Amino acid sequence: MEQEIMADIQSKTATTESINRGPIAMQLRDVAVSFHGRTAVRDCTFDIAKNRVTSLIGPSGSGKTTLLRALNRLHDLTPGAKVTGQILLDGVDIYRGNITVTELRTRVGMVFQRPNPFPTMSIYDNAVSGLRFNGVKKKSLLDEAAESSLRSAALWDSVSSRLKVSASNLSGGEQQRLCIARALALDPEVLLMDEPTSALDPVATLRIEELMTSLKSRVTVVIVTHNMQQAARISDDCAFLLMGEDRAGELIEFDTTEKIFNNPVDSRTLDYTLGRFG
Amino acid sequence: MSDMIELNEPVEDGHLVRDEIRRISKSVHARRVTTSRVMMVLCGVALLIAAVPLVMLIAELIKNGLPVLNKAFFTSEPQTPTLIAPNATGGVSNAIVGSLALTVYASVLAIPLGVLVGVFLSESSSKMASTLRVIAQTMAGAPSILMGLFAFSFIVHDLNIGFSALAGSFALAVLMMPVIIITTEIAVRNVPNSLREAGLALGARSHKVSLRIVLPSALSGIVTGVILAISRAVGETAPVLLVIGGGFINQWRPLDPVSSLPLSIFENAKSQWPSQRAQVWGVALVLVAFVFVMSLTARIWASRKQQVRN
Repeated sequence: MEQEIMADIQSKTATTESINRGPIAMQLRDVAVSFHGRTAVRDCTFDIAKNRVTSLIGPSGSGKTTLLRALNRLHDLTPGAKVTGQILLDGVDIYRGNITVTELRTRVGMVFQRPNPFPTMSIYDNAVSGLRFNGVKKKSLLDEAAESSLRSAALWDSVSSRLKVSASNLSGGEQQRLCIARALALDPEVLLMDEPTSALDPVATLRIEELMTSLKSRVTVVIVTHNMQQAARISDDCAFLLMGEDRAGELIEFDTTEKIFNNPVDSRTLDYTLGRFG
Repeated sequence: MSDMIELNEPVEDGHLVRDEIRRISKSVHARRVTTSRVMMVLCGVALLIAAVPLVMLIAELIKNGLPVLNKAFFTSEPQTPTLIAPNATGGVSNAIVGSLALTVYASVLAIPLGVLVGVFLSESSSKMASTLRVIAQTMAGAPSILMGLFAFSFIVHDLNIGFSALAGSFALAVLMMPVIIITTEIAVRNVPNSLREAGLALGARSHKVSLRIVLPSALSGIVTGVILAISRAVGETAPVLLVIGGGFINQWRPLDPVSSLPLSIFENAKSQWPSQRAQVWGVALVLVAFVFVMSLTARIWASRKQQVRN
């Protein structure tokens, strides 16, 4: 009963807030993900605003990554996985609407926790791999996309002289920026990032964070992070998730990052952001 | 904070316990060093015993094999010695050509099919895949003469093609296939799932992910398996014995009989002429050298794969 009221309040705040936060890129309505009938995350209703960074925070097991992966249908290939509720991209339901999974994934890119460039491909081939997968063959177009995406990922200056070198020769931080470039080459509307800096050292982390802020103007960023300082530093909006008593994650609170960190509605949000648990 | 205070409390007793632990560990350590030395000596002795037959075999092979190797050995066809010319054995070029032909045909048959089945097994979890896997594993352990019998009854007899290179390479292909299937499946399975996900997240369809990401990443593993399968096939005697027919001429046409290196050893070892029996060592040396080069290549491929991973 209490939860229902909470969800009700949240959906209302989501809609009222959205007006202040500008146009909406993706809308989540009562989204839940379950594996073999066991709910992993549920009750997620909030709006992802265009050209802002939205962070998903919460302790381990709260379903942040599971929720993020639902946003570009990466659960599709997991046996027993089921996504319910509605996820809208520009008003189109990405699971039932008039959009193919291939198109969705070119419009909603993803950067993973561990840098995963294709080891058998060169830096150049990695950067344009998404375009090639989707049938782009024209050399001039590929060249242009490679340069602009590597520039956007702040990698061009250090790799422009060795584009034909294998991507596995790059450092961890460079590999991750290459993965960002690879996603950006498709010029996506939304970029999902699953703890993109957790495998990197502090200097590389800082560079990726700077990158995210600079990317905001052209792409909407949704980032999962364990690092509270990171969420506070780089995100504009923030969703706080927590594992419920039945071990399923649920959305506790969604608001601007400033509100979540300074003046949250729920006491558990305050406890978490102050480091009292998690 | 309260946890830390508790940890710091029993300082006095802690030293006593610490001394006791150090005393025990010291005596245990001394005993372990002794045990370790004894075991090392035992291992060294075992290694020597195991290496002796191998070293003897290779020494014998080189001692007896090298003298018979000359230009004619590689380039001329064999002759039957006569009482007038008891050392006129000719060369074994027919066996070299035959072995090459058999290996090439068998590879053409086995590699594409084996790799495809291996990829299918690794990417599919269907009932059919698990049945195929059991068949491949059973075939890998089956005695190789069985392939010869099968090729004889199917190609030589039922299809009425007769003794031929085709029948031999068919038998060898059946022998190679399980090895290729199993190594391919393992190599493809070892490709990290994160690479598949990266491809899918870029909007690639799953066949493109398999073709452009998974196969190239697994390639060095697959090639290693293929090379090992080839080097096994080239030395096999039993499967080809019944079906290739032999013969003294250099010939590679698939539908005619051919000879092969192992068959030449088998035939000449039974010869009444000492000169022909001596030639067997040369053939064996060539065969071993070929297999050695192949497995060396396989090892280099495998280590190349390690470097890519690192």
